[in-house]
Amino acid sequence: MRGNRIVFLIVPGLIVLLGGFLIPAVVMLVSPPRTEFGDILARLGTMLTNSYDLAIIGRTVVLGLIVMIISVVIGFPIAYMLARSTSRWVGMLLALAIFPLLLSNVVRTFGWLVVLGKEGAIGQLLTSLHIVDEAPQLLYTPLAIVLGLLQLFLPLAIISCYSAVAQVNPALDEAARGLGANRTQTFWTVVVPLSWPGIVVACTLVFAGSVTAYTTPYLLGGSRQRMLSTQLYNYANGTIDWAAASATAIIMTVLVFGVSAISTLMGRKARTS
Amino acid sequence: MNNRHPIAASLAVLGYIVMIVPLFFVVITAFTDGSTLKFPPSGFSLRWFEAAFKYQPFMTSLVSSLELAVLAALFSLLLGVPVALAISRGKIPGKGLLEGLFLSPLIVPELVVGLALYQQLMIGLGLNNFTTLLIGHTVLLFPYAVRVTGASLALMDPHIEEAARGLGASPLRTFFTVTFPLLRPGLFSAGLLSFVTSFNNVPLSLLLQNRDFRTLPVTMLDYVQQNYDPIVAAMSVLILLGTILIAVVAERTVGFAKIFGGIN
Repeated sequence: MRGNRIVFLIVPGLIVLLGGFLIPAVVMLVSPPRTEFGDILARLGTMLTNSYDLAIIGRTVVLGLIVMIISVVIGFPIAYMLARSTSRWVGMLLALAIFPLLLSNVVRTFGWLVVLGKEGAIGQLLTSLHIVDEAPQLLYTPLAIVLGLLQLFLPLAIISCYSAVAQVNPALDEAARGLGANRTQTFWTVVVPLSWPGIVVACTLVFAGSVTAYTTPYLLGGSRQRMLSTQLYNYANGTIDWAAASATAIIMTVLVFGVSAISTLMGRKARTS
Repeated sequence: MNNRHPIAASLAVLGYIVMIVPLFFVVITAFTDGSTLKFPPSGFSLRWFEAAFKYQPFMTSLVSSLELAVLAALFSLLLGVPVALAISRGKIPGKGLLEGLFLSPLIVPELVVGLALYQQLMIGLGLNNFTTLLIGHTVLLFPYAVRVTGASLALMDPHIEEAARGLGASPLRTFFTVTFPLLRPGLFSAGLLSFVTSFNNVPLSLLLQNRDFRTLPVTMLDYVQQNYDPIVAAMSVLILLGTILIAVVAERTVGFAKIFGGIN
């Protein structure tokens, strides 16, 4: 199967990719129906200056960063233990960390409704122990969104870190220990720097996933805690404001491409230094 | 920082609680005899499972979702495998760029892709929503088909194919008797991963729904927003069982962690 004719095998796929993805995406971003590109730029300008839209953008970015940091702080130790432990439970625990990735986001997020809802497990526990008189409002808060997103993205953080840690030769840990470093020093000066590329990948995936997730902010944040994704849906399906929908889509895409670019640069820096 | 370091161990326990414990509450709630999501549940019954099976929108959209996921996975392989072959075996300039182009659906936010297809294909070109969903899901799954097949092709010794050609086999015959059998585990992995990804998708499918064709996750999402009864918990348990079945199949064939975690 050598030669030049094989090149044509790319054609059907390329047509579907262009017609079913790239061209519609570009046209939507620059020239939606009955809308000039100038309108979108104007909307983009308003969004980046008025306090209502800025609050939504800010909430999306801040919650994304919080989820990203917590995912790595929790995910890395889990990955490290899974990669280094010789316990017979490791296979089971690794499978348990990957399994949620296969499970519908709607099912996973629904669990928090049962836990955090007005008549949910936490509220009932607190009132029956007479710690509070009335169940606290847990749903439709930033905390609920953070918990939901953490549940969604911890598996990704664990897998990214695991692949990196598993490539670090355990003999290097032992060498550091042999040279007199204690466990904590070995962890911070040997394991973490050598796993850095995996940590960068984990951060990128979790942040990009968090700022674009829809199910979680919709179910756990509702209209009280609007994020870019729920706002975009509202523009496209509720108010049918194409200029605003395109402007929101541009902000979202720039956020994701921005974090990808930063992580590529950081990955390159890590390789050269 | 060994396995018993207290801070690391507590963080790990916390992580597993956040990932897994809400699912236990879903399962417990599904078996309640009461009519709200109240915890602890009042009494034990299977009535919500019966209700889920009898609730037509869930059953219709379940069939729709299965149909869409199977077709999208199939199309992405049919179109994506030739792409991977052309990129890895053909003489094309800008291979890296082309490969990047086929992986790009992973980077662009799905909600943005959904908006683009809704506006340009459904409203603009007047395609029906099933066709639009199928195109969207097929493109969304390209990265899996192209990357997984590309990885298998890169590992394969091209001399085997040359040997078959040298012995007089036609290019097609070489593909079906030499290349394809070697690709089979990779194709199976990509297919399973694609099926699961399509079946669970919400952001891309969200704007492409209408009364004629709706997917299950979006139907459930709408239901949860308007009703506060445990029928969704029962439906969730059924999805959980189906997902466990897929995990078992994956483990018995290519390997669960390999397919879904990319871990050997």
